[in-house]
Amino acid sequence: MPELRKDPVIGRWVIIATERARRPGNFVDPQKNYFVDEEPCPFCHNADQEIYSIKGDDGQWKVKVVASAQPLVKKEVQFNRHGHGLYDVVNSYGVNEIVIETPEHITNMADLDIHQIQHVIEAYKIRFKDIAKEPDLQYALAFKNYGWAAGGRRIGHSRSQIIATSINPLRVKEKLKGAKRHFDYHDRCLYCDLIRQEMSSGKRVVAETEHFIAITPFAPRFPFELTILPKEHHCDFSQGIVGHEEDLAKILKDILSRIKVGLEDPAYNYIIQTAPFNRLKRGDRWQTIKQDYHWHIEVLPRLSLAAGFEKGTGFYICPIPPEDTAEFLREVEV
Amino acid sequence: MSELRRDPIIGRWVFVETDESSWHPQDYEVAKRHINQAAVCQLCPGKEAQTPPEVAAVRNNGSPENSPNWLVRVVPNKFPALKIEGELEKRGEGIYDLSNGIGAHEVLIETPDHNLTNLADFKVEDIVNVIKLYQNRSLGLAKDKRFKYIMIFKNYGESAGASVEHAHSQIIALPMVPKYVLEALEGYTNYYSFRGRCVYCDMVEQEGQQKERIVAENESFISFCPYVPRYPFECWILPKEHASEFRLLSDDDTQYLARILKETLYRIKAALGDPSYNFYIHVAPVNCGGPKNYHWHIEILPQLTRVAGFEWGTGFYIIKTSPAVAASHLRKVDFNF
Repeated sequence: MPELRKDPVIGRWVIIATERARRPGNFVDPQKNYFVDEEPCPFCHNADQEIYSIKGDDGQWKVKVVASAQPLVKKEVQFNRHGHGLYDVVNSYGVNEIVIETPEHITNMADLDIHQIQHVIEAYKIRFKDIAKEPDLQYALAFKNYGWAAGGRRIGHSRSQIIATSINPLRVKEKLKGAKRHFDYHDRCLYCDLIRQEMSSGKRVVAETEHFIAITPFAPRFPFELTILPKEHHCDFSQGIVGHEEDLAKILKDILSRIKVGLEDPAYNYIIQTAPFNRLKRGDRWQTIKQDYHWHIEVLPRLSLAAGFEKGTGFYICPIPPEDTAEFLREVEV
Repeated sequence: MSELRRDPIIGRWVFVETDESSWHPQDYEVAKRHINQAAVCQLCPGKEAQTPPEVAAVRNNGSPENSPNWLVRVVPNKFPALKIEGELEKRGEGIYDLSNGIGAHEVLIETPDHNLTNLADFKVEDIVNVIKLYQNRSLGLAKDKRFKYIMIFKNYGESAGASVEHAHSQIIALPMVPKYVLEALEGYTNYYSFRGRCVYCDMVEQEGQQKERIVAENESFISFCPYVPRYPFECWILPKEHASEFRLLSDDDTQYLARILKETLYRIKAALGDPSYNFYIHVAPVNCGGPKNYHWHIEILPQLTRVAGFEWGTGFYIIKTSPAVAASHLRKVDFNF
């Protein structure tokens, strides 16, 4: 019998297929991930002006942040809002940066060493703190598109992006609302409750370190979807991560390696979900955000295509139970 | 350069490229569609025994059920996402809610002709038959009080999620109203209580005045590229007059709907090199006493881009072709019935 499960944060129902379920080993990237190496790679020993970098003892950069060559949003324009009949419009004021994760031509973050990944996390932290000072920006997002199906280009050099916008995105608002609803009712953080339940049942836990836990969510949208949660409560990534950068690098490398080895190097996305900036200015609405929201990372291997049903309903069909994918990923040898 | 536009219904912000910097059809990489599967197709005439027994069909004069002589045929999905037997049993597991997967999942085979893969190439009267069976099944499934929402949708082409090539749509009856529909209904209701008007009627009005986003129009329907799309070249078909009921269209309106659906799909096919697409019909929920008043419509989503981490993480979408530019390309296509 298939199961209907509800995401406890945003209330989205998903269908978990049981009888039509495929075996965990049968999932592959439907768009066949491959890279075409450009000569010369624009990211190898990149000489663009840096916004921020972490340097080694030899004075050469190890991780470097540069402005995007094709920015979605720009800092050069002045923030403004206007109307268009019944519609609201704002211009493209914002920040769009590329984090080059290594000077070497390494494709998958899973193959970087832990200290290199730690530097990437430190770069996110420093850039988030700096971007938060801009009064017209509300939200910063760090994310990675690895591979074609994940929306990346076919250049095989490990990198990620930071985008900051002048408005709070819809999915972030839904998460904030869901977390607040739980807090208003129970006086506890929903994510902390979720971590306790997952750790005691163990059936969806894929990996654990001193400060982090990686699980397959109870009601995933996609097969092999993962969430990395900090065990200690904090709403904000750039503050909560302080002192735990190396530990996060450990669990991130572990998870990405399990995906790469177990699922034949598929395309994937990860997204850091943190609280919005400037939160105290906006009246009563997010007064309890420090207690009710809990930052986390979503990792999404691209092994399925969204079809008309998903696009039209926001209802997802996950072709395999998350307990099975967790077990499969736990058993991958890395 | 892009700007951010806010959807007036659910409040989603979307990055939309301006007219000057918009991508044109040739800038998209259109994924190839299916390899021919005619030899092994289970939906073709003569293979009726390989599908579960039909639940409805349009047939040539009096041909018996499950025999080959049909025009459109609805059968239960052989691999259903939800099961029709049993009662809905909700339960909890700690902080989580779940239930057994009760629902209906049917496949509507749109034509006996395996090689007529795109609805854009159908004759108008054949599309009329398809629409009549959509209505027939929507009414039929709504009699089952366990079901709260009847979703009709179509996946054309592999990259839009179609697993078989033979032209078909799907009907799924759900035991709860899905999130995206709830959001649209909530947005509709909020707009209504704030302005005392239907947001979709206001859209029809604004599109009619501005004209630049219109793709096609006839007596009863308008097809346009919405000002805040989720996908490039997205098209919506709306009844011009406020209408809650897709299931009870007059014969004339069914004709007009078939015509505008064909025209819109044909323009997409010709302008964009026969891309994969999805469409679905948004209607009000059934059997749940909720708002019955809604402005039903069809949303058509050509599959031209890949959704990336940014979109998954934020619900922001990035549209490289402004809807006005998209509509002008679609209007340029030479089309005659």
